[in-house]
Amino acid sequence: MKNFTPPPIRPGIHPRTGLGYRIDHGVRSAAPCLFVFFATLVLSAPLNLPGQVELMPALVMGTVFLWSVFVPALMPSIAVFVLGLWADVLSFGPAGVMLLMMLIVHGVALSGRYTLARVNFFVLWLVFGVVMVGVTALQWVLCSALALHIVEFLPFVFETVLSFGSFPVLYAGFVWTYRFVVNNTDRS
Amino acid sequence: MPVSIQFRQALGKLVLPALILVACGVILLGKADRALVERLRMQTADLLAPAYSLVAWPQAKLRWLSGNLQDIRNLEAENIRLRAENESLRHWYDVAAALADENGTLKANLHWIPDNAPTFVSGRVVRDTSGLYARAVLLAINADTSVRKGGIALDGAGLVGRVTEVGKRSARVLLITDSSSRLPVTLESSHAAAIMAGDNSPLPRIIFYPQDNVPIEGERVVTNGEIESLPAGLPVGHVHYVRPGQPVVVPAAALDHVDILRIFDYADSVAPPDAPGRVPLPPPVGGTLSLPAQFQPHADQGLHG
Repeated sequence: MKNFTPPPIRPGIHPRTGLGYRIDHGVRSAAPCLFVFFATLVLSAPLNLPGQVELMPALVMGTVFLWSVFVPALMPSIAVFVLGLWADVLSFGPAGVMLLMMLIVHGVALSGRYTLARVNFFVLWLVFGVVMVGVTALQWVLCSALALHIVEFLPFVFETVLSFGSFPVLYAGFVWTYRFVVNNTDRS
Repeated sequence: MPVSIQFRQALGKLVLPALILVACGVILLGKADRALVERLRMQTADLLAPAYSLVAWPQAKLRWLSGNLQDIRNLEAENIRLRAENESLRHWYDVAAALADENGTLKANLHWIPDNAPTFVSGRVVRDTSGLYARAVLLAINADTSVRKGGIALDGAGLVGRVTEVGKRSARVLLITDSSSRLPVTLESSHAAAIMAGDNSPLPRIIFYPQDNVPIEGERVVTNGEIESLPAGLPVGHVHYVRPGQPVVVPAAALDHVDILRIFDYADSVAPPDAPGRVPLPPPVGGTLSLPAQFQPHADQGLHG
């Protein structure tokens, strides 16, 4: 059984500070942001996946939510902002809407993190679902307002359901990344 | 710079609200200056276009392979069907050849003015940029091809859409199914003019058709020469009633799976000549209207004549 507690600090033993160590550490810390970055990029390519358009917000929102709740240090607000701009540039919807949604999800997760980080997984799932319903409703309202007519409602429902359904997978991915990518610098 | 902990905490709390405000600003900016946002997106798409075509290539190969395998499976039935179809087509070929001859003779007798052959370029669709609220595709083009805004996109079977933005290496084609697409069309059998309006569904609606001359189920829909840059008679699809009183167009082009597009440039195919007797008024700048040159009083005439 592997023990994840940090090694005791004794005089004479210092953390490694070489260039390689720093690069390694940096890449590991940037893993969640890099995942969002590349997920956005790959899902904007012509893969012809069914539901590809709705999958992108689902994955991005779930990832931002999870990391903002548990490890906000690796998903800072500025990074969410930059990733939101990136997602907006790659999608052809109204500008800024995706950005605003990501920031709101991040903000909700950040403000409730002391409660959310302690609750049962299923409660967390439910909370995420409620947040997604709210955010997608906001997206629909904004899209309708910016297009000056009522846009179709069903794709947004599909987007909510898809993000709700992909949450457990993202959670498993998050746990794995947190244990074996972010916190495993000593074994490299 | 040494900053007190309280100050730093206060700053940290302000970051997120500030960013949300900036996001609202971005939404407003996107609404106010669409051109800027579109240019940014087109530049990104231009940069990524080679990568997208890399993704598209194995897909095309795979589709080709699976199509081949399916073809092999029902080769026998296909052969029988093709033989029958070939016979019927041969008959129609004779009819068409005879009609083309007759048409040529008649046109020669009538001193028919031949239509201008439009120029066109063909390109591969590298990305479907359809979102929740738009239907559009991105086309890879060369820097030296003359694709212009307003170009008409057709695939092998019919009208696909119009070019709305042109970048250096890619062009965006708004499909006829997009909710902002409105095209004047003619219904071929009932000779009625109507507007084909996309609504983001695969079947664009027919609106503004004359109430005493309703569209007939199954009749062909072609473009109408009402607007410049879109000539009359391009095939669009056929009429279908999804329910009584709601006619839609079933597009002839395979819009769910656009692969290769031809972009036609009809921009100045029919330019109206200057009408004599009609005075072209300059746009009223500064609220004053000036007379055209030939009506302007000459200053020296007034002095010496």
